[in-house]
Amino acid sequence: MSVYGRRRLMNYAVIGLAFAATAFGLLWLVLVLGTLVYEGAGAMSPALFTEMTPPPGSKGGLLNAIFGSLAMTAIATAIGTPTGILAGTFLAEYARGSRFGEVVRFINDILLSAPSIIVGLFVYEAMVVQMGHFSGWAGAMALAIIMIPVVVRTSEDMLRLVPDALREAAAALGAPKWKVVVTISYRAALQGMLTGVLLAVARISGETAPLLFTSLSNLFWSADLNAPIANLPVVIFNFAMSPYAEWNALAWGGALLITVAILLLNIGARLLTARSTFKT
Amino acid sequence: MTGSPVPFPPSERQPAGDSPVKADIRDVHFYYGKFHALKGISLPLYDRRVTAFIGPSGCGKSTLLRVLNRIYELYPGHVATGEVIVDGQNILAPGLDLNLVRAKIGMVFQKPTPFPMSIYDNVAFGIRLYEKLPRAELDDRIEAALRRAALWDEVKDKLRQSGLGLSGGQQQRLCIARAIAVQPEILLLDEPASALDPISTQRIEELIAELKSDYCIAIVTHNMQQAARSSDYTAFMYLGELVEFDLTERIFTYPREKRTEDYVTGRFG
Amino acid sequence: MAIQNAVSTDIRTSRQRGGAVGDALFHGLTLLFALLVLLILGGVIASLVEGAWPALAKFGFSFIVTDVWNPVRQQFGAAAAIYGTLVTSAIAMLIAIPVAFGVALFITELSPAWLKRPLAVMIELLAAIPSIIYGIWGLFVLAPFVQAHVEPALIATLGRIPFVGMLFAGPPLGIGVLTAGFILAVMVLPFISAIMRDVFETVPPVLRESAYGLGATTTEVVWRVVLPYTRVGVVGGILLGLGRALGETMAVTFVIGNAHHIHASILQPGTTISAALANEFTEAVGDIYVSSLVAAGLILFAITFIVLVLAKLLLIRLERRGGRAA
Repeated sequence: MSVYGRRRLMNYAVIGLAFAATAFGLLWLVLVLGTLVYEGAGAMSPALFTEMTPPPGSKGGLLNAIFGSLAMTAIATAIGTPTGILAGTFLAEYARGSRFGEVVRFINDILLSAPSIIVGLFVYEAMVVQMGHFSGWAGAMALAIIMIPVVVRTSEDMLRLVPDALREAAAALGAPKWKVVVTISYRAALQGMLTGVLLAVARISGETAPLLFTSLSNLFWSADLNAPIANLPVVIFNFAMSPYAEWNALAWGGALLITVAILLLNIGARLLTARSTFKT
Repeated sequence: MTGSPVPFPPSERQPAGDSPVKADIRDVHFYYGKFHALKGISLPLYDRRVTAFIGPSGCGKSTLLRVLNRIYELYPGHVATGEVIVDGQNILAPGLDLNLVRAKIGMVFQKPTPFPMSIYDNVAFGIRLYEKLPRAELDDRIEAALRRAALWDEVKDKLRQSGLGLSGGQQQRLCIARAIAVQPEILLLDEPASALDPISTQRIEELIAELKSDYCIAIVTHNMQQAARSSDYTAFMYLGELVEFDLTERIFTYPREKRTEDYVTGRFG
Repeated sequence: MAIQNAVSTDIRTSRQRGGAVGDALFHGLTLLFALLVLLILGGVIASLVEGAWPALAKFGFSFIVTDVWNPVRQQFGAAAAIYGTLVTSAIAMLIAIPVAFGVALFITELSPAWLKRPLAVMIELLAAIPSIIYGIWGLFVLAPFVQAHVEPALIATLGRIPFVGMLFAGPPLGIGVLTAGFILAVMVLPFISAIMRDVFETVPPVLRESAYGLGATTTEVVWRVVLPYTRVGVVGGILLGLGRALGETMAVTFVIGNAHHIHASILQPGTTISAALANEFTEAVGDIYVSSLVAAGLILFAITFIVLVLAKLLLIRLERRGGRAA
């Protein structure tokens, strides 16, 4: 076969493999999502949102789990967002070329890729053991620790995108540095940072492992964050592993809920960035 | 130590008519890390006059401008020595509040830099830093600045809209309005029209001619015709040195230095 | 003159003075939170080491190489968990890397223009799906399927070949190392693919066009132009994916089988460090038991840390060799 013939054959082979790979990849993902929607839809009913988790063998809902998840996510976001943004601000505005900044960035990357179950372990030792009991606060803290490195990264990246010319123009008018950062850098990078926060919230919404030894779960209604509190991921974990059909069905329902929430957050983040590109 | 012979030693400086020396630059050196970018620059900037700085790329003219409002201090490793006497005091002295210095000496950059906020807020930005004005007075100051910058008629109906929605020439005039709104004493313009189309450039030049009556203006330009048209004094710089400083008409008709003559006649640069 | 004489240092309004104070406060504030990040990591390492110490002191080096896991006699060795972590991740990467590459290749070079954006968005949304979803899907759908169809087929075919057959020995259980590895692959696939796609898109069109213009086939353009240009990002993406797979808990916990044994066969149940933690931690009785689990966690942390450091070192070297800042 000629050189050209061989090249052509190789090309067709690779193209064919690429098609196959795409089909293969998409197939499994379609299967996963398809099952999720099918099984989850079967569990969808108003009762899901109005009733508590039932004892084994009976029907019920996920109200307490939904509440617990919302509460812990909200607290984690309240802690994680300012922490992440301020630390990111430090890296972008005060520590650009410095050694210390490199160290902080590296450490942030380590935290970013640390397995979330390890974070759960840490909060267990630091909070649960110290307090003597599991609690929603510990769960929220674990989620916050997972959220912080993500927000630090996105905030730093977005702030770095702000051109120095803007900062110089503000400084040239006599603005002190903190004003330059707060009124100019933040305003210019706002959309990007907000997107980063939304994506971070989406990320922690689905996290199960860190909650396994911090907030645990609770089969009953409880608004007490100082004790184990129900939450969707751990409820799904427990119910799915159980042999009870009603519990399994609720697990699928909860899974669908989480997935929809996360997808909405992601789409929301996308729309936010799309709008900003239109404005400029 | 290389230093240029001071073409205009202080003893020979005569205030031109009724215009005193606003800023007296004395033996200024500047270093980017180890690189010696400005070598012993000395010259006067006269009040209510336009002084143009010309020279090939890299000669240090922008650097000198950035020394004058100490904007270089945003970056570590940039060092300036020497003195710049403004109203009797050396603004390069340590221990001064930099923000106050910069409020007194305004700067407009090469690329228009409107802040991501409304036109009104853009112009008000500098004012709000140092003054607490009642609303009506603030409105007046902003209108005055925009009128002075020849932008008022075009934006008076859309003061609440974002500054980013203006055209390039308008954005640059907005930056000028923003700079003069704080009523500085010296105005530094770093190639203000080089990023603009010819019509906007012309408008900016007309603006400078008008602003001259109230401010001491220093303008860096790579466009020699612009320097010849707009300025009263011209300083020619080359490789970090001040080669010649004189009345504009003399620089462009019978310069004293050979290098100046070569540059203005286009033999290099 | 509306503004005070800048050089007179004694006349200042409170607003002017506030500038310096504001600067110091703000700088301090941001520095504080940056230090907090350092503190968190320090806390994580410290608490892991402290919790792991009793077990490590008692078992020493044998902790890493023994697969004995006996809560009754309080004898523990994490070898099975470590082995499971590494093997499931290896299986996952073996499957996910080529498929992710194929998908990224398809999206950037082969797909029709109208399909590109939807496909790319789909992949990114899929990467956002939490791992517990994959976990329960694996438990309810994949494991039974694998048990009924895939494993018997594997045993009947590859299981017959000498040596290779050892990998596929044992009864078809559905749950086990292979299934867990496969779930991991499906989970990590969109993540790696999204990164690869992003990175492929950064290649300047002129570069591609020059290659096509010379008559190169698509394969050659990708192999000789796109990949070399993007190798930093591609390697980074792969290593990030690996880090993700190693630390993944929920996707594997449901289907790994929770057996602290090392088998040659990937059809057998096993365990990973994170699965062991998830399944056993809350019920572990006895200080040494708890400490052993924490020690396993410390080892996992060390493994992911090493992968991350390797990734960064590799990136630095590749950038230097390529002579390009990626």
